Amino acid sequence: MAPKPKPAPSQPPAPPPLEDLFTTLNKHIQASAFTNAVKLTDQILAIAPGDEDALRCKVVALIKDDRFDDAFSAIQSSKTLPEDFHFLKAYCLYKQNKLDEALQSLQKHERDDETMLLESQILYRLGKMDDCLDIYQKLQKSKIDLLEINSVAALVMAGRSSEVQGWLDSF
Amino acid sequence: FPPAFQAIARNPIVLDLAYNTIEFPDIEHRMKKDKRAKGGFISRIFG
Repeated sequence: MAPKPKPAPSQPPAPPPLEDLFTTLNKHIQASAFTNAVKLTDQILAIAPGDEDALRCKVVALIKDDRFDDAFSAIQSSKTLPEDFHFLKAYCLYKQNKLDEALQSLQKHERDDETMLLESQILYRLGKMDDCLDIYQKLQKSKIDLLEINSVAALVMAGRSSEVQGWLDSF
Repeated sequence: FPPAFQAIARNPIVLDLAYNTIEFPDIEHRMKKDKRAKGGFISRIFG
């Protein structure tokens, strides 16, 4: 009598396809369920380590969940940093009040409206109001919503309140 | 009128405008193809 075939070694269930996980991730993002979104990104990264879309979603979800330490760690875990990660890293450092490091990280990113906005907020916290206002002057033509509020704050803190009216008129 | 602006003893409001620029990447192309989208296409032709 032939020996009974050995039962197949029990294998862990196959992981769900990545596209299913991304579909679920997208649902959580649309629902602003950031804690669940992070869990999904972890599932994706467990199957596909180094997946840039998943990592980017994870970092953004952690930031939107106010978990800046975790977001920073997630960025540091990436071996190669795509350029836009330097902005996210700088933002985490800014929220952790590590302002000089935040500025350093920003310098590795192309100087666009977003980086200038963040730079101005860092300079404001550093008390460098004149540098901050230089940036707001450059950003004026970009018509960023509510920028005048931060400009007025910097003017007042710089002791240049008399210029406020002129600034507001120029917006 | 209007009266001139004057400094007051209060920290002015600063908004975190950089936060508003942080957005999720587009992951549409990583998701399962939406069957409803196809139905919509057909219904646009035949509907």
